[in-house]
Amino acid sequence: MKNTLIIITTIFIFLILYFLQVNFFNWFTIAGISPNLFVILVLFLGLFAGKRVGVPMGIFLGILLDLFASKKIGISAIMLGIVGIIAGVLDKNFSKDSRMTIILMTILSTAIYEVGGYILNYIIVSTNIEILLFIKILLIESIYNAILTVILYPLLQKAGYYIEEAFRGKQILTRYY
Amino acid sequence: MYKKKTSIVGIIITIVILIILVFISNMNVENLSYIENAVSTIVMPIQNGLTYLKNKITGNDTFFTDISKLQEENEELKRKNSELETTLRELEIIKAENTTLKEYLNLSETYANYKTKPAYIISKDISNYSKVFIINLGSKDGIEKDMTVISEKGLVGHIIQTTDHTSKVQTIIDTSSTVSATMTSSRDNIILKGTLEEGTLKASYIKPSANLIQGDTIETSRNGWDISKRHKDRNY
Repeated sequence: MKNTLIIITTIFIFLILYFLQVNFFNWFTIAGISPNLFVILVLFLGLFAGKRVGVPMGIFLGILLDLFASKKIGISAIMLGIVGIIAGVLDKNFSKDSRMTIILMTILSTAIYEVGGYILNYIIVSTNIEILLFIKILLIESIYNAILTVILYPLLQKAGYYIEEAFRGKQILTRYY
Repeated sequence: MYKKKTSIVGIIITIVILIILVFISNMNVENLSYIENAVSTIVMPIQNGLTYLKNKITGNDTFFTDISKLQEENEELKRKNSELETTLRELEIIKAENTTLKEYLNLSETYANYKTKPAYIISKDISNYSKVFIINLGSKDGIEKDMTVISEKGLVGHIIQTTDHTSKVQTIIDTSSTVSATMTSSRDNIILKGTLEEGTLKASYIKPSANLIQGDTIETSRNGWDISKRHKDRNY
């Protein structure tokens, strides 16, 4: 029941983030580049709730994103699913308590999401490749996401531990005792 | 005898008074100003005080009547102000509508041969390198896939997907869009591709002999998914 409530809340938060992304962050940009709030959301889901929740939620939210405003359905879904997998891997190998590791995780996830998305776009819809401009966009977007993570970290951590307890309470006990 | 004397004296006194009055009336007023001054010095302070008192009394009276009048006036002005504000707001809305309608009119005049439907952009793709947006018209409004999207300044893009009430538009500046075009002055054909740079297009397949002039305009040709051909094909 608690888990279902968390998933419903996540979908609700996703919708809020979507409106924020389309309206507010469309205007509040760094050099015309807006952040990607969904990468942060899925990364935190994967980190705290685990790969088993992060991946399906990433795919589901990605499909919703593609349905809302993408050229092809599936690109965001695949990439957010991959972010979910990466979050699971990072969770096993790194601490979530350090702000610095969280920042690096966000930058890595954003980079993988964007590079993967760009390659898939090239394969599926024949996007013109412009490496330098793409790297510029990628760098700004990753830094922007990292800044947002730093600002939101206390809130995300609190919510994260709550989610972790709900989804992996028993697993944490077996791991530490 | 006594009575006769009295009446003569009375007549003489009357004549003397009349003569004095004639003299006074014929004298210059300035010569009497010292008397006037003396009189006013005595009378005017009293008169002033009395006037002050009178004004005070009548002033207090009007003070109360004025308050109620002012309150009424204030209410009236407030009402008028709110009416004017409402009118102003209505005028602002009408002005905005007028501007939009003028744009539509320009659009209809520019593309007089085509059937156009005005639409608003309601959302856009969240990706930083994709230039896809959503408009508020869908299949129920007669919009179909591959239809051309134009603005009063020229070609915008084409419809890639529709729902009942919305449609996705891929713009010509999207990185995966390619449009054939013609340079206006030299009539050389080129291919335009969207770039990651904000609002710019990249021209390619330019003939080595082509004349390139800075500031030259580019027209979408009749080869790709441009307005003319699509219009003829689909007759919308």
